[in-house]
Parts: sequence; structure tokens; C-alpha cells
Amino acid sequence: MSSTEQGTSSAAPAEPTTAPESAAAPEVPESFYYVHGKDKVVHKVSAGALQHSALIHGMISNLGYTEEQAKANPFPFENIDGDILQMVVDWCNQHKGKPTPPEDTNLPKQKEKLFDLVLAVNYLEIKELLTYCCKQVAMMVKGKSPEEIREIWMIPTDAEDEAAEKEAKKRAGKEAAGETAAAAGDAK
Amino acid sequence: MSSIIEMPVLVMEKIIEFSDFKAVLTLRQVCRDFRNFIDVLRDSKLPDSAIKAIVIVSDYEEDDSKITMDFLFSDNHFDSFEYSEMEHSRTFETKENPERRTTTDLGDSNIVDVAIRDLEWILKFQKSDLNGSYFYFDDFRLHNDSSIYTLPIKVSNMLNVSGRKIKTRELSITTYNKSNNIMSVLPFADSETLTSLDLIPLEEGIIIIDEIAEIAKTEQWKATKELKCDFCLMNLNVEDICHFSRMKIKIPSITARDLDFLKKTYISSSKFVHAFFDLGCFNDIEEISDLWGPAFTPGLSKHFWYFRRKNSDEKVLRIEFYRNIEAFIFEIVESKDVPNGAVIHDYNGN
Repeated sequence: MSSTEQGTSSAAPAEPTTAPESAAAPEVPESFYYVHGKDKVVHKVSAGALQHSALIHGMISNLGYTEEQAKANPFPFENIDGDILQMVVDWCNQHKGKPTPPEDTNLPKQKEKLFDLVLAVNYLEIKELLTYCCKQVAMMVKGKSPEEIREIWMIPTDAEDEAAEKEAKKRAGKEAAGETAAAAGDAK
Repeated sequence: MSSIIEMPVLVMEKIIEFSDFKAVLTLRQVCRDFRNFIDVLRDSKLPDSAIKAIVIVSDYEEDDSKITMDFLFSDNHFDSFEYSEMEHSRTFETKENPERRTTTDLGDSNIVDVAIRDLEWILKFQKSDLNGSYFYFDDFRLHNDSSIYTLPIKVSNMLNVSGRKIKTRELSITTYNKSNNIMSVLPFADSETLTSLDLIPLEEGIIIIDEIAEIAKTEQWKATKELKCDFCLMNLNVEDICHFSRMKIKIPSITARDLDFLKKTYISSSKFVHAFFDLGCFNDIEEISDLWGPAFTPGLSKHFWYFRRKNSDEKVLRIEFYRNIEAFIFEIVESKDVPNGAVIHDYNGN
């Protein structure tokens, strides 16, 4: 596993800042966990920020890791692209311990990224962020015609879809035939 | 890179929830995956259409009979569908943007079936109450070659099969003297929402409905607070109409006994406000004067009576009879508005 350790983005410092009210309260050191995506780049994230993700929160709530143990065992999310995981980590940091605003204008505008983000957020069970993302996806096609929606969301027509399916079946059939022929050849 | 088609069900449901209802209907046309997904979604997962009023009209014209369906939304925008029998087409127009008028050739499809299907889809998205629903069924009895005469029965079948109630405060049905057309819609109004019922004959004059008993049996009739019926109702039982707090009806005549029953009901009711009885004729003025005492007569053709109500001193029941128009009017009025010389009869619930 690669261990290119990174802090979180500069916009959202990962190190805990001392909040004024915590000065009077008994000092409880904030714990940190480590996550990485498909690109193996490890992100250090505070338990407070990770609370947004019901999945991760569930995983860490009973672990009781020491800092060293956490560092040695980053959570692998191989199904999430590195840049998408970075966006998720940034969002969690920015909204750590804060009430979430009714709209989030910082979501990616490119649909490819947005769809990937939706899948990651759904997987990580980040409820508020999922709501913002779904709103944004819905807004993309408001007032559009079916043809325009197909273009915006890159959806093939039923005819194109059927043709692609046929082609795929044909290819599968050919491959199967090839394998059978190869097997027959082997048998000889 | 991911595609929208790969989205899990929960995510797609959320996306649908945040779309407006027109976008959802458009999504159905994008591809079969969306269509299949939306068609099996529970109504509770669909967004509210925010429609405030619907107007459904069948209109016979010699050169082209039509069905029109108009929808008024809470933001006051207005959409209209027109189904032309002659052109075999559906034209959609949004009044704010008439340039976006689109016409679809309906091919071999029956235009009534297409209209009903569209209506069914639009009603699927109705969550908030409608202020009003207005049905206008033209007289196609002599024009059976037009398929549009089937509109009322097909509306009824669709509502019956879908188990859907129209949540409307006001329901208005205009038709010829056929109670079937009233019964094709009335039983499908949500009785908890319905407050006002308006039954209007297509033509002027005395148009008779002689099968009122069936209509009066519906829970909608019983739940409605206001009735305006311009049909002449035959064989009416006054017990079927005494619950309306506001009412205007036409009946051929009324007996003194029935009038007295209504008087007793209204003086005991806290909800009654106004009732207008448009009568063909009334000949029991002597009998009613025996029952209620002599009338206060401010004019030759006017007979007024005043009665105290149960638990109320400020307001009284005024009953007016106008000989010239053969009409009885029952109304709750302020006690202070009773003219000098008129007697206010004490409350007597019996």
C-alpha cells in the first residue's frame, strides 16, 4: 500500500483548532482516522468531521484506536476515486460540527464528477451531502425536453441501447464459440 | 466515470423527489429504464404537482369535437392540453410561454384514452388540495360517432380502477339532464376535502334530474357544506338537503310540512347560514301561516317570519317568501336588523 500521506486541503485544515469555548471545558484530545481511495492517497480526518458519514462513524465508534493504530490502519475505499474522496473529506471538514446550510453551492458542476460524488456519498451514507447532490442532479434537467435530458445525462436512446445490447450479446456469443473451439482444439 | 443509470434506487428516488412533476413526466420519455422505474414508484415518492384547479371540458363542434384539460398551478401559471378528434392530435400549451406550443400526432390511439391517461398521470402528483375541479360534459347524445361521448364513463373507470380520490374543495359539474354524468365524478371527490358542490345544466330553462336519490346517497353529498344546483330536482327528500349550511336549489314545489321541518332544523343548527329554494309554484301559504303564525308583510308579494335560534340571542332565522318569484329564502340575520312591527317567535325545537 502506498503511504503518500497528505493532510486535508488547505481550505479545511485537518489539525484541530482550539475553539474558544473548549478552553473552559476539560481538554479532550480529538482523535483522527485515516482514509484512502482508489489512488491510495491517505487523508487524515478528525472523528468529528467523519461523523457526517454514518458508515465511517459506525466503523470507528467502537474501535478505540490509538493514534498509531489508526495511522497503521487507514480505511480503504477502493471503489472511490481519489479526487472524489478528497471532495468528500473537504466537505466533511468544512461542515464539522456546524449546522448544514440549506443549499450547498460548492458542489462540482461537471456532471461526470457529480455522478461519481453521488455514488461515493451514498456509499459513505452522508445524508445532507447526498440531499444537496440529488437536488443538483435534479436541477440539471429542470425544464428540459427528453432529447435535451438524454444529452445532458448522456443516456442512449432505447434504440441505441438495444443495438448496444445486441452487439454485446453477439460478442459474448462469438467469444463463447471461440472458447469452445479452443477447448476442442486442446482436446485434440 | 459514472452514469445516471447506475444510480442506486434510493438515490434515484431522491432525485425524483427534488424534480418538479413535469420533469418527472419528461423523464418517463427519456428511456425505458426511467419509465419502468417511475411507473412502479409509490405515489408518496413523487413530487407534488402544486396544481390549484383543473378544468376538464368535452366540447361538441360540427367540424371538430375536442377535449380540453386546463391546469392552474399555485404560482398562477397555467397549462392547457387540447385533444382534437379531427386532427387526432394533442396540443400542449403553457399560457406563460405560448411559443412553446407543441402538437403531437396521436396516430391510431383513441383521443379519449390518451386524455384519460394524461389525466391519470397528472392526478398521481396531486398532494395538496385543489381549490376547484370543474367538469363540463357536452351533450353528445346525437353524436355517437364521436368517441368523446365516452369521456364521463372513462373518467369514472379510471378513477375507480386507480382508487384515487380527487382532493378538491369545490366540485362543479356541468352536464345535460343525466345524473350518470354527475355520478361519474362525484363519488370520486375526496369527501373530507369537499366543501362545495355546484351542479349546472348545459342549457337554460327547467332541466330536470329525477334520480337525485342516488346522488344524495353518496358520502360526498352528505359531507358537502355548500350546494348550488340549477337543475330542477324531482322527488327530493328534504332530509337529504337539510345539512347544507349554504344552498341554492330548484324544486317543483315544497309542502308546508317540509318547510316546517327545515325551519326546525335551521333554528337548532349552529352551522346554517343561507338557503334559497327556487320553486315552480307554492300554494300552501295559508297552511304555513297556520303553522308559523301570521307573516310580517312589508309588501304585497313578500311574507317574512322571524324565529329565535337555540342558544343565540344576537342572531335569528329569517324566512322570506316572495310570491312574485315563487321563492323561499332562509337566512341567519342579526336580531337588530329585524324591522319594527315584526314578531320574533320564541325558540321552540318541537
